[in-house]
Amino acid sequence: MSQPLRAIARVEQLSKHYGSEQARVTALDAVTLSFAAGQFTAVMGPSGSGKSTLMHIAAGLDSASSGRAWIGSTEITGLGDDELTVLRRREVGFVFQSFNLVPTLDVRGNILLPFDLDGRTPTAAETAWIDELIARLGLRDRTAHRPHELSGGQKQRVAIARALATRPTLVFADEPTGALDSATSRDVLRLLQDASRDFGQSIAMVTHDPVAAAHADRVLFLADGRLVRDSGPASAAELSGIVLGLEDAS
Amino acid sequence: MSSRTLARSELARRPGQHLPSLLVTALGAAFGAALLAVSSMIGDYAATTAIGGSAGVERMLTVLSILFLGIAVFVAGVVTTNTFSTIIAGRVHEIALARVLGASARDLRRSVATEGAVVGLLGSVLGVGVGWAVAALVGVIGRASGVALPVPEVLDPVLAVPLVASALTTWLASWLGGARVLTVTPMQALGSAEEAPYDRLSRRPVRTGLAVLAVAAGAVGLGAGVMMGQSSSSGVLVAFLGGVLSFIGVIGLSRLIIPPVLRVIGTLLGRGAPARLGAANAMRHPERSARSTVGIVIGVTLITTFVVAASTARTVLFATTAGAPEEYVEEASRIIDNVTLVFAGLIGFAVVIALVGLVNTLTLGVMQRRREIGLLRAVGFTRGQVRRMITAESAQGAIAATAIGVLLGVVYGWSGALALLGSVSSGAVWPTVPLAFVAAVVVVTAAVALLAALIPSRRATRVTPVAALAVD
Ligand SMILES: Nc1ncnc2c1ncn2[C@@H]1O[C@H](COP(=O)(O)OP(=O)(O)OP(=O)(O)O)[C@@H](O)[C@H]1O
Ligand SMILES: [Mg+2]
Repeated sequence: MSQPLRAIARVEQLSKHYGSEQARVTALDAVTLSFAAGQFTAVMGPSGSGKSTLMHIAAGLDSASSGRAWIGSTEITGLGDDELTVLRRREVGFVFQSFNLVPTLDVRGNILLPFDLDGRTPTAAETAWIDELIARLGLRDRTAHRPHELSGGQKQRVAIARALATRPTLVFADEPTGALDSATSRDVLRLLQDASRDFGQSIAMVTHDPVAAAHADRVLFLADGRLVRDSGPASAAELSGIVLGLEDAS
Repeated sequence: MSSRTLARSELARRPGQHLPSLLVTALGAAFGAALLAVSSMIGDYAATTAIGGSAGVERMLTVLSILFLGIAVFVAGVVTTNTFSTIIAGRVHEIALARVLGASARDLRRSVATEGAVVGLLGSVLGVGVGWAVAALVGVIGRASGVALPVPEVLDPVLAVPLVASALTTWLASWLGGARVLTVTPMQALGSAEEAPYDRLSRRPVRTGLAVLAVAAGAVGLGAGVMMGQSSSSGVLVAFLGGVLSFIGVIGLSRLIIPPVLRVIGTLLGRGAPARLGAANAMRHPERSARSTVGIVIGVTLITTFVVAASTARTVLFATTAGAPEEYVEEASRIIDNVTLVFAGLIGFAVVIALVGLVNTLTLGVMQRRREIGLLRAVGFTRGQVRRMITAESAQGAIAATAIGVLLGVVYGWSGALALLGSVSSGAVWPTVPLAFVAAVVVVTAAVALLAALIPSRRATRVTPVAALAVD
């Protein structure tokens, strides 16, 4: 990479505690990190290490106990609920492990939901982009189907299409392949990888799976709520070794 | 596991889920008990005064009270059936697990009915107590203002009517609503919390056939009554029977009639995402949506029937008694007004019970859609938009139900007036719908829509986006 990497989202001294003073669980412990523009970043770590918590706060879904977070140039810690909601709608795309789609809307309706919420119809350019997404994700003859008529892999592809539709600042994916078989997983991962390579989409993905993380440009490791390692692209075998080491340590 | 142990553990673990059914049962029982106790009091009072045929007065009041009680208890029964069916929909996972572990569907359904029996018994005892207290209060007020009403008897045998009727209705309702248990397969224990498919309307050919027959026969009776009414006022009896029969048929068909109306009203609510999603919700469980609004249809139909019949009758009277003494006509129209108002108030109670049902169905729906609401919040629904979505769903139900009710009521009321007075009127008689009534309908519909959305909206806006991600 020749150009210096610009941070597209970052957190500074971010902490999150659960429970009361006496029985306090620290999910995140003063984490500072940034996600680079145009990169596909994976976040790994043992169960309970704080991956989901980090994602939720960095994506504006949950509030921090202390510290600050930015999406683009907007500081999101301290935003009111409505401002934060509109920011999520416009600047962030989400892909969750399951239950990504609104059951009463068909595939197209689900993909267009962020525009509908803004009370606007997509521009001609946006429509062309959405049609391209639908075609590339192999959903062309599925647009009028409802979620319960789709397979697990198809549902995840619809979720990816929705996440990319608004060309958000950042796409957050939490275990997007957690409920899929390995062939379908590979499909979904390649789609995310393509979105980042071909369209410069910034993506942050939480995963347990070294094979999934091997698709990323950069892999961050959390343990006990702290950032413990920051690695470039690596093979599944290497990543698997690192995770095993972390799990033994904790 | 016996069905009784299951029921006991369910009642002990989550008593809150049956509060609405308890409330609805108690409301029906209280209403009936108060009406019947007051009727007895008035009957006794009439016996001590010079009003002739006191036994007749009491009997007539009792018959009317039982009629109104019947309407209220029927609506309460529909509401409770819906509540139980909705609760079962929320328990699918547990029921499926129990099925995997070897419980039979029949046992599980019986256990649900046992819960219903307990709720019915408690609710009706509570309700009759409250109803009696209300009657006692009426007595106190009466005596204070110089009418020597007696104190209502505590062990008046007539109080057994609301007690038994309400308890049995709730029990029956839990049995009918519990039928949903039979549709749960052990397989559903394996599926994770996924997007549930739509409920499909089960085909009930016998029920539908009978209902269509009732509507057809009733319509013929109504028409015949109107025809007979052109020569004598006895046509009104035929028309009345026809009207009752056809209305029973319409209620039997409500599961087929209401959903399409909901769909039409839904499209009128606007194209915004909250309105569209709110409107789409009602179509997920067409049977549930129909049941949650049919009580309002019943209430509004009956009230509209009375109002339109009375107003049309008055129009005819004014037209045909042009030469009669003015005070005579005014007296007659005042009596008509008062009777209409009292009847509307008494039927209005059924609408209150239906409102409780609507609130409850919407609230349970919100609780069962927590993940979906969390997802909507994640992808960009503001709290205000969530609130608008719930209000759209509630408005859709309220508007559809009143629209159907007013339409039916105008037809029935007009037919009644024609059958009664067709022979005395000179030219054509058109239905009279007073402006004040139209205004009242609009205000009440808006109030119902907003009130019903209040509690479920509060629940829904409390759901955080993170709730969508909590895999249970
Ligand atoms: N709502 C909550 N209340 C209390 N503790 C919580 C809550 N959410 C998370 N935690 C705790 O915070 C810590 C981090 O949780 P988090 O979900 O971020 O972990 P994770 O790395 O995503 O784990 P997994 O890989 O299992 O998904 C855990 O110890 C967890 O028990
Ligand atoms: Mg997690």
